[in-house]
Amino acid sequence: MRHANATTARTARCHASFALGRVIAVCVAALAVAQNVAALDSATLIARLARTPPASIPFVDVRFSELLNEPVVVRGRLFYEGAGALERRVEQPYLETTTIRGDSVRVQRAGEVDRAFTLRRAAELRGFLTALTGLLTGDGRFLEQHFDIAASGDESRWRLTLDPSDGRVRERLRAITVAGAGNEPHCFVIDDTRGGASVLLLGSKAAQALPQPLTRDSLQESCAAE
Amino acid sequence: MKASPSALLLLAAWIVALIALAVIAERRLAVDSDLRLFLPAPSTDEQRLLLDAIGEGPAARLLIVELSRADAPTLADASRALADALRNDERFRFVANGDETLEGLPDALLAYRYLLHPDPTTRTFDREWLRMALEARARDLASPGGFALEPLIPRDPTFVLAALLDRWQPAHEPPRELGVWFDAARERALLLAETRAPAFDPDRQRDALDALQRAFAATGVANAVTLSTSGTGGFSVLMEARTRATAENLTRLAAIGMLAVLLVAYRRPSVLIVSALPLATAAVAGLAAVSIVFGAVHGITLAFGFTLLGVAQDYPLHLLSHGRPSAEPRMVARAIWPTLATGVASTCIAYLTFWLSGAAGLAQLACFTVVGLAAAALTTRYVLPGLLAPGARDYGDSRALRRIARAIAELPRPRFAPLVLALACVGATIAAPRPFWDNDLSTLTPVPEELVAHDRELRETLSLADVRHQLAVVAPTADAALERVEALDAELARLVATGAIASYDHAARYLPSAAVQRARQAELPSTDVLSAELAAALADSPFRRDAFAPFVADVERARTLPPLTPAVARAVPAVGARLDTLLLERDGAFTAVVALGGVSDVAPLRSLAGRTTGVTVLDVRAAAESLVAEQRSRMLLCLAFGALLLVAVVGFALRDSRRVYRVLAPLALTTLVVVAALQLAGVSLNLFHLISLILAAGLGLDYALFFEHSAEDPAEQARTLHAVLVCAASTLLVFVLLATADLPVLRAIGTPVALGVVVNFALALLITRGTTVTRRAAP
Repeated sequence: MRHANATTARTARCHASFALGRVIAVCVAALAVAQNVAALDSATLIARLARTPPASIPFVDVRFSELLNEPVVVRGRLFYEGAGALERRVEQPYLETTTIRGDSVRVQRAGEVDRAFTLRRAAELRGFLTALTGLLTGDGRFLEQHFDIAASGDESRWRLTLDPSDGRVRERLRAITVAGAGNEPHCFVIDDTRGGASVLLLGSKAAQALPQPLTRDSLQESCAAE
Repeated sequence: MKASPSALLLLAAWIVALIALAVIAERRLAVDSDLRLFLPAPSTDEQRLLLDAIGEGPAARLLIVELSRADAPTLADASRALADALRNDERFRFVANGDETLEGLPDALLAYRYLLHPDPTTRTFDREWLRMALEARARDLASPGGFALEPLIPRDPTFVLAALLDRWQPAHEPPRELGVWFDAARERALLLAETRAPAFDPDRQRDALDALQRAFAATGVANAVTLSTSGTGGFSVLMEARTRATAENLTRLAAIGMLAVLLVAYRRPSVLIVSALPLATAAVAGLAAVSIVFGAVHGITLAFGFTLLGVAQDYPLHLLSHGRPSAEPRMVARAIWPTLATGVASTCIAYLTFWLSGAAGLAQLACFTVVGLAAAALTTRYVLPGLLAPGARDYGDSRALRRIARAIAELPRPRFAPLVLALACVGATIAAPRPFWDNDLSTLTPVPEELVAHDRELRETLSLADVRHQLAVVAPTADAALERVEALDAELARLVATGAIASYDHAARYLPSAAVQRARQAELPSTDVLSAELAAALADSPFRRDAFAPFVADVERARTLPPLTPAVARAVPAVGARLDTLLLERDGAFTAVVALGGVSDVAPLRSLAGRTTGVTVLDVRAAAESLVAEQRSRMLLCLAFGALLLVAVVGFALRDSRRVYRVLAPLALTTLVVVAALQLAGVSLNLFHLISLILAAGLGLDYALFFEHSAEDPAEQARTLHAVLVCAASTLLVFVLLATADLPVLRAIGTPVALGVVVNFALALLITRGTTVTRRAAP
């Protein structure tokens, strides 16, 4: 998101514009039929994932931590307003809005004072946002600057594993795994280096019932399922 | 100039010796712009504090940095990147941009958080309060910042550390946008950077500003964002550069003009070298002497010293003008020596009184000028004759000069004119409406009004402490000082409520006294009680039962810690910088400073100070002015002694009261005329005017002595007239140029000297020459 101008230009070029949450099922089906299951090229995949802002998508975020007995689950919507501008609105079980502009993050929660902090001191969040920005703008080259990327699966069900290449980020962030099908990313799994994780389910996956027992691995499995 | 090998050898040897001496002086001498070196040594605690506040005070060392002309996210990013870079820079003691960071807090001090925050809820650990805190922490964990907060939560679930960091922000914060300070219109991101260099050290301030620019360039957004700075330190850099540039331009012009005058007067290019030698010797010898005796010298002392050395430029001119084909230069030098020596000796003895003033700046000034003038005179007497060939022509034969001398002799000279002139000048000075003295040194190098207004607006936005008013609380120990400022809290809060002040800040806001810390320790629950409450709070939370063992351990540690002392607290970055400026130790006594913001009424502050022991109101500006006035009083006292000594030396040399009158009356009258002229023109006098008047008097003394000496012989009269004309013309040229400068400090030097040269010359002709001619006419 630092290369705002460049990425905006590329976004414009990658004109594969799909409104989120629409036509995806059709696309997936069409692609599965039309194309043979070939070796998956991460660059092509990433380019196809691009979204034209503004876009919004429902999410479920399941947070695992060594401090917690049971994970904390929140639901809401993500609003993507262009490179470097993201809003995360939690609607359940409480109201909370996080606004990200450049390196600045502001968290507003009903009944509490606003809190602001900077991505410079939040390596995990920064890593996630870098990955998300790279995917939303379809900019494979930008992603490769920050991650070692491995792709697996096929067009109908794929998985991208992003390992941070920067040493300081790697101290805090182990990996980000993105699983999806066709042009739709279904979930982001963010693993920190302390045994914690955050699993973000998007779009249609957010509407499904959560697997029981609720663990990081069970969620990842359900991401991979149809 | 003589072209003989011996003369050239002598010249070369002399120049080499000067260079060697200059190198020694340059190595040893530290030129300081710290105003305290120039002002008198402080005698009371209050004065010491004031001297600190002039240049070292935190308010004066504060640079306000503005980032503008980009959108808010870009500005916020630039603000953070710049702050991070400056926090790692040795040149800055403290950087703030509203962005709080836990980085740099020593782990061993974290448990003190429960003793440092005044809010009792930070020591509240009942189950309901803890349950609310844990609920909020679970939400924090699930928020995008959760990963970053996770390591803090087991140790500090009630987030007291964050509350403490908030508390350590300035008393009245500017609005925050995206987590960093912005102005009210959200158009400019604001940072505060406190330099280690005092405000009045333009060299180190420039160094800090350069480092700031480099850090800004390194943020990578320098093309997109506009950076500007404001603050006393920045102003001193600006004004120093401006004064230096103007002075250098004028000096270059003056040097060219002076060369032209000398070439016209003597028509030999070689005299330029010869005439420059005594002044160069004076400067180098003066610097060497100061470097050996004092080691360091203030910039103002040097500026004053070089001004006073101007009189030495006249010495070689007397030698040159009195030269003639029939006389060896050595003979000429011997012939003018008694007159020259009388002038030099009396001037030097008068200046020596400065040495006895007890003020370091004035003692340095005396050392510099006395050694310099003596060296210039001895060079003229003993070195220059070896370099000079006999004069090509005798100015005593000049018909034009003789005609002028005769015409001057025939001018009317009413007997009581000097007395009438003196009375008129005194009357005019008394009647002039302006105050006689101007004690504000800052008016000499005025900062452009729009910059001052901009700075004021920024300081209001940032609610910065008033640079002028402070409270000082003196106590025998640091802890007692902290207790005393704590005791003022209620009164100060009342003053804020009534609007007398907008805000206040003191050391106890960052470090409470030991008594207060102990009282807060007593509020903390025992491990058993805390564990029970925590277990109850955990019952319906998603957290693990054992997740908060570090928290329980910290509270237990806080109960038994020895109270935090200033020495230990200084290790905390945000606190150390504030304590350095708000809690001062000197000679075993401690002074806590209460910084005041937006002082609109001083009277209640004075009444508060009057009612409380150990508390005084500091008016930085008034005290700085009183120090300047004190310095001036010393100078005037020295000058009075100097004048008496001057009369004694001249009397001893001339041994005739009428001759003494003829020599001293012109310069005394000139001083009165110049002072009256300045006052009538609406100029209040400052130290620079005073120094310039002393130079003018020194020049006038030499004019009068030479006129007086030449009284008997028409050829000698013509030669003296030539010498004094050249002296006056060259000096006048230099100082008229200074008088036209747009900087008040240069005008303050130029105007009195230029006026003084003209009036001295005229009065010396009318009084000194006039009375001698009259005497010759009588039998």
